[in-house]
Amino acid sequence: MDILSSIKANIPVLHLTGRFDAHEVKPVADWMQEQVDANRPRLVVDLQKVNFIDSTALSTLVRGLKHCREQGGDLHLCSLQQPVRVIFELTRLDKAFDIFASEQEAIQAFTG
Amino acid sequence: MRIAMVTTHPPSKGSLNEYGYHFVRYLRLKADTISELTLLVDELPTGGEYALETAPGSVPVKIVPCWKFGALDNALRIRKAVQAAHPDVVLFNLQFATFGDKKIPATLGLLTPWLLKRSGFKVAILLHNIMETVNLKSAGFGGNPLIEAVIRLFGNIVTRFLLSVDMVAVTIPKYVEILEGKYGAKNVMLAPHGSFEEPTDAVPNTMPGGASTVMTFGKFGTYKTVDILVEAHAMLQPDHPNLRLVIAGTDSPNAAGYLEGVQKKYAHVTNVEYTGYVAETDVPRIFGEAWVVAFPYTSTTGSSGVLHQAGGFGKAVVLPDLGDLAELVQEEGYDGEFFEPNDAQSLADSIRRVIDHPERQMEIGSHNYMAANGLPIDEVVDWYLIHFQEILKK
Repeated sequence: MDILSSIKANIPVLHLTGRFDAHEVKPVADWMQEQVDANRPRLVVDLQKVNFIDSTALSTLVRGLKHCREQGGDLHLCSLQQPVRVIFELTRLDKAFDIFASEQEAIQAFTG
Repeated sequence: MRIAMVTTHPPSKGSLNEYGYHFVRYLRLKADTISELTLLVDELPTGGEYALETAPGSVPVKIVPCWKFGALDNALRIRKAVQAAHPDVVLFNLQFATFGDKKIPATLGLLTPWLLKRSGFKVAILLHNIMETVNLKSAGFGGNPLIEAVIRLFGNIVTRFLLSVDMVAVTIPKYVEILEGKYGAKNVMLAPHGSFEEPTDAVPNTMPGGASTVMTFGKFGTYKTVDILVEAHAMLQPDHPNLRLVIAGTDSPNAAGYLEGVQKKYAHVTNVEYTGYVAETDVPRIFGEAWVVAFPYTSTTGSSGVLHQAGGFGKAVVLPDLGDLAELVQEEGYDGEFFEPNDAQSLADSIRRVIDHPERQMEIGSHNYMAANGLPIDEVVDWYLIHFQEILKK
């Protein structure tokens, strides 16, 4: 999986590409923790190029969401492909996360 | 958040006590989210007593024994206990025979979540099996086709009552499909079973020293029977004279006296050890000594906690080629050798493929360890808490 981070409108954004599974969670978890530790608890994870997600990866996002909210922020997801969206619906985590159609919308939801 | 959990919990030997134990163990660590936890557990036999160790910073726990396996008034007693506890959310750790091995107490008990919902509480259920996939005969119910049909009808009605609560979690994707497709449910979610053991960096020893040991673990006599395992063991003995078979666990509450009958029936088979009830503290040793963990199931009623435990200890497994279990193995990334259900020769062959091939044994054990440690139950508990927060927002 390829990982690329950026900051847009002062919001840290993580772009993931490929399979997001148990073997790939550590750098994502580390990135989210670094942002929260640096008092940047409003994050966007762009899943546009993720074609597979497993329960460990979902759990990593849940942990990130929890930490962000504990710090008064949130974790927004965006641009889910259909196979990934199905997993979110199956686990009903689509109700727990704020999921947006595009990265721009996910950022705008933070910046107003 | 104040949570009440209706569950079995050791030292109770009721079904799902192990899952209840581990789930509670991690709920208690979530003091940042949970302010109070009330365990609504089954009453112990005379002289028995619940005791939970307290740790600094952990969630305060109140234990309220308020129901009894097989009793008819469990729903009312649990409601009274919930009303006294005033929780924000009530979580049930349930399977279809949680409240009794007879149809009426089992059914009445399963109406408890609906009753609580009607009484104004937010209610969630972790449902370990669904009626549609239970082999009633193997599970200790039924007997003739007409009775089975009636039970299934009542099962469908009970399922509708269960689905009336705020959230129903199941551990197998197929269950979500069935509950959504057949019942039109909109509140069902998939929640992984999770691993009981805390992950460590090193893969445990998949091949311990000592005699090669086949172990099976559980509550036996309904759909988990050991007859073919003992027969398979006897078939393996001529070329594996030191092979041990350890049958770890007790009778299922629905099959009292089963293991005693097995011991008598197979008294002539040597190197078979019956451990009886395995206390939590002995679980690591029992799994640690095993070369392979066998699942001599005739049907399944949901995700297998024992499979996750075996994975947590880095063990190779032999499994029946049954729909749910085979599906679970694939979906959750486990590996094992498969055998034809109810076929002792096939089971013996699958054990042979493991114990005679150390590289395969290590391959399966390591694979299962990775799968089990992918998602510890600690993180599964977080999923539930996130969902509870959503329920409370409504």
